[in-house]
Amino acid sequence: MSNSKVWQCLTCEFVYSEAIGIPEEGIPPGTAWEDVPEDWLCPDCAMGKDDFAMQEVQNESSFI
Amino acid sequence: MKPIIIIGAGHAGLTLAREIRALDKTVPITIVSQDPIQAYYKPNLSKALSMNKSADQLIMKKLGALKNDLHAELFENTSVLKITHEKKSIICQSKGSDNKKLETFELPYENLIIATGASPIELPIDGAFGNVISINTLQDYALFRKKIKYKKQILIIGAGFVGCEFASDLTSNGYQVDVVDRTSWPLEQAIPEQVGIAIKHTLSENGVNWHFQTTVDEINNDGLGGLKVQLSNKTMIKPDVIISAIGLQPNIQLAKAANLSSVRGIVVDEYCQSSANSIYALGDCVEYDGQPLPFIAPATLAAKTLAKTLTGNKTKLVLPPQPVAIKISNCPTLICPPKTKEGSWQINGVDQDLEAAFLDNKNELCGFVLSGKKTALKGEYLSRC
Repeated sequence: MSNSKVWQCLTCEFVYSEAIGIPEEGIPPGTAWEDVPEDWLCPDCAMGKDDFAMQEVQNESSFI
Repeated sequence: MKPIIIIGAGHAGLTLAREIRALDKTVPITIVSQDPIQAYYKPNLSKALSMNKSADQLIMKKLGALKNDLHAELFENTSVLKITHEKKSIICQSKGSDNKKLETFELPYENLIIATGASPIELPIDGAFGNVISINTLQDYALFRKKIKYKKQILIIGAGFVGCEFASDLTSNGYQVDVVDRTSWPLEQAIPEQVGIAIKHTLSENGVNWHFQTTVDEINNDGLGGLKVQLSNKTMIKPDVIISAIGLQPNIQLAKAANLSSVRGIVVDEYCQSSANSIYALGDCVEYDGQPLPFIAPATLAAKTLAKTLTGNKTKLVLPPQPVAIKISNCPTLICPPKTKEGSWQINGVDQDLEAAFLDNKNELCGFVLSGKKTALKGEYLSRC
């Protein structure tokens, strides 16, 4: 998972980590952001994926 | 070129500024706020103990960073005294600091957006003044954290969204919590009884003492630094701190004084425009179809839509079903409020894992509540709504 990215919601700061996924919502670990379903909503603030402005935050591997 | 002026720097106002700037790099934007201008996510106020965050740590962006990102002129700690539509201007007054006097000035606008939010409804109870706090801003939150330090016993008045989340957050962090509400179960206005009872049980196991179908009659100081609260069912509670969470009322004073149409909130059309030209309204100060919608998601969507209109692409606001998540420890709950009152709930599930579908008279799904493990069905329900 060296290219695993972390995305953060601009509204509520919810963090989506591609490495972790959201298993309880049926998104398994290792799911790339572009593979998260288009009708997915942020679990905290309920904004949709495309008008929701998740931004890529520091790539996890680049900390190492 | 006269600026777009936004009154209010809460979620609605700041999101609008961000979205306008994303669409137009040059249009001048001015934000006037009676509070300090800093971005934070208000729903976190009722979860921050469990997040282990102080008031300061909840700030996502401070004034300097916002100024930089938005390329906007920001007036914080500044009240708007008056809107003069004939002149398309507002009269402002900056709050004086210790060595600064009050300063009054006029700002002309091209378009004006009222995003003044909503304020806690004051408790009409003897002894409430000075003894009861409401937590609706970051400054309120800082005060709340100071007040509960080294204290144990908290009374929450109101078992709605905010009251339930605070009850969960406080009990999860070692506080003893009583909750009083005139209704019969938590979140009664939004969810059916069976789900309400499940949430009630979960929070009871967490340590919440519920007092339903009763109200607070009187609040007195006990003479020892604590408080005595008399309920109408004759129960006496002795809390250290009292939180009022009985609801919000849209801040419409400014709009009313400017003769804009308002009932509970400011009335807007499908383009977020008020009854006056070039004046729009957004967020918790607004009513949509007669109903305030004091939640993040509709405000965000309205801000995004209005940003398009204000940058030359006139766009109608269409609000899809948007679920509201309530953080209750051990019983996460999602509420997608029904658009109509005509219909009935159909409930399936056991214990706290419940799905409640609100079917209208044509048997169509028009709202739902999911709790516990059933929250995983969110996608399926939304696609049917």
